[in-house]
Amino acid sequence: MKHVLCVAMMFLCAGAAAAETVERRSPADPNGEVEIGNIAGRVEVVGWDRAEVELQADIAGGADELRFERRGARTVIQIRTNRHHGAAADMTVRVPQGSSLMINTVSADQQVEGVRGRQRLQSVSGAIDTEVFDEFEIETASGEISVRGHGGQALARVTSVSGDVRLDDIGPDVELSTVSGDLNVRAKRIERARINTTNGDLDFTAALAPDARIDAEAINGDLRFEFLGAVNAEFDIETFNGDIDNCFGPEPRRSRDFGPGNELRFEEGKGGATVRVKTLNGGVELCKK
Amino acid sequence: MSESRRDPLDELLARVPREVAPERDLWPAIRAGIEAEPRPAERARGGAHPRWFQLAAGVLLVLASSLTTYVLTRQSLQQEAAQIARETLPAPSLTATPASFGLAPEALGVEYVQTRAELDKRFEQRLATLPPVTRAKVERNLAEIRKASSEIAAALAENPSDPLLQELLLSTYRNEIRLLTDVSQLPSTSTRVDL
Repeated sequence: MKHVLCVAMMFLCAGAAAAETVERRSPADPNGEVEIGNIAGRVEVVGWDRAEVELQADIAGGADELRFERRGARTVIQIRTNRHHGAAADMTVRVPQGSSLMINTVSADQQVEGVRGRQRLQSVSGAIDTEVFDEFEIETASGEISVRGHGGQALARVTSVSGDVRLDDIGPDVELSTVSGDLNVRAKRIERARINTTNGDLDFTAALAPDARIDAEAINGDLRFEFLGAVNAEFDIETFNGDIDNCFGPEPRRSRDFGPGNELRFEEGKGGATVRVKTLNGGVELCKK
Repeated sequence: MSESRRDPLDELLARVPREVAPERDLWPAIRAGIEAEPRPAERARGGAHPRWFQLAAGVLLVLASSLTTYVLTRQSLQQEAAQIARETLPAPSLTATPASFGLAPEALGVEYVQTRAELDKRFEQRLATLPPVTRAKVERNLAEIRKASSEIAAALAENPSDPLLQELLLSTYRNEIRLLTDVSQLPSTSTRVDL
């Protein structure tokens, strides 16, 4: 990009100010990157068919800084509200639908629709609700996460400390990690899944690709797997102190002469895929739908 | 000192082989942990937080290496001890065997302790800036991970050759490092987007 459009405004507010409405618009690369930062309030991003980025924001309580800048294929929008109690910015951002997104918020909720590029969304306590078409990565501490995919063609990586996670129609490659948030995953087809939870429970519903590999670990969380369609897989399930329920037939056996522990190893159908699950105290349930 | 008066423990240690072939390959789990660290968005951006991931990866490498060494050494000692116990009476006690891998960071080496201390410091700095409710949740979840580590370490002390416990302990350590790293990277009220 030969020219740089830069519109930056500084708001230095002495104190709490009345709500202020801000509107900005700039040409943008149809497949560029849009970065958005907001501390408190809300960020709503909508993909549209124009090669423009448009911002509409209602800022309550005043802002220390508003940045709306374009540099090449990258557009940066950032609102830093005053730090006094109640300051917040409700942002609606329209971006070219082929854009990649990077959004960082503290307590502001995020909602994304119709944006087809990669997404990297981070929040501390704000909830994240997004529609995805490509690779995405989401991290929150306590915010809840909800993702709606379109069949899934790329990597999904989700990390939550305590927020619950719901992923619909994603895949085929997923990496999920939580400490105490519950995980609910629905995928048409999974090729690879790596799932790790300390105390959160997992509900996983998916069809397995012929050479799929699922690795799941839990400490106290219960792991429930429901497989769609034909299942051709080798199962390797082991718990130190948890129960194993298996709808496929083979019974688990005690893995230790003294003390708790169960293990279950069997092949279903022609094999090919592998499902490996290890828990300390969490139970494991395997079933077919 | 005659041979018959030598300390049975010295004899035991002298007979421990210098190299031990691993009974169980821990590398796949270690490699999976390491491979899990690079983030796709960062790859695309040329690395937004390279220092963090170097730090976390360093901790994980030291951790994995130390755990592997510890497990192999411990298995070796115990196998040797069991064999010697069958051959020699009275059986020597295994006081030289490390007792609590999971509870003694010093057992992981100076490099781990130093790197981990830096990670802890950055985590505490970031934690202090989080909203109180979120801070409490993060602290509670970190406590849950550490409680799980202690629980597994205690079970491992009673079942030292249990591969499931070894794997879960390593995984729990990895989760703790990941939590420290992720929280340190969370957006803050002072975060700026660098152009």
